[in-house]
Amino acid sequence: MKNRLKVLRAERDWTQARLASELEVSRQTVNAIETGKYDPSLPLAFRIARLFGQAIEQIFVDNKETSS
Amino acid sequence: MERLLDMSENTPVTIRERCEPSRTRSRELRLAAVTLLWAVTFVGATRLLKSELLPAGIVPWLVALAPSVAAGFVLAAYVRFLREADELQRLIQLQGLAAGFGGGFFVLCGYSLFEQLGASPAGIELVAVMPFLYVIGVLVGERKYR
Repeated sequence: MKNRLKVLRAERDWTQARLASELEVSRQTVNAIETGKYDPSLPLAFRIARLFGQAIEQIFVDNKETSS
Repeated sequence: MERLLDMSENTPVTIRERCEPSRTRSRELRLAAVTLLWAVTFVGATRLLKSELLPAGIVPWLVALAPSVAAGFVLAAYVRFLREADELQRLIQLQGLAAGFGGGFFVLCGYSLFEQLGASPAGIELVAVMPFLYVIGVLVGERKYR
């Protein structure tokens, strides 16, 4: 699954540590999500969407949707 | 929430953000400390019981009980560690536990066949393969999601 987390974070000039703190997760988790190594759970995806004021599907995009 | 100004990056940094790595580190250190305490207690109790220095009576029983008490602290610290961990850390721990328990179980089962062929009987030392595989599993997970 692709996501725009890194772009959204950069727009706010936040560090990974800052975003991790806002989401109450580790910096490792933020990095793993940004690099696509880890897909967050639905509750965490909702927290991310709420934090950036966007819908989940505006942040996370299924690979199958982008390829079709 | 109170905010500070990080002069190095000129971006606002929360107190919580600054404290988070140290809190994670302190959880890991606490777990490592009680695990070390258990290991020392276990090795000490084993040597004491083998040395026959202990007087007869209740003392050897108390010495034999000591590692189990220490193990209770390890389990409590590990449960607290898991409870305070985030979802990725829990996933990594789950992979470590799967490697440790699953791998250890299959190693012990496999070794029982070698015992039938004349290999020396499996001692308590062979159980050490479980924490060993657990650590390997956690390290692989940490590397995978680094």
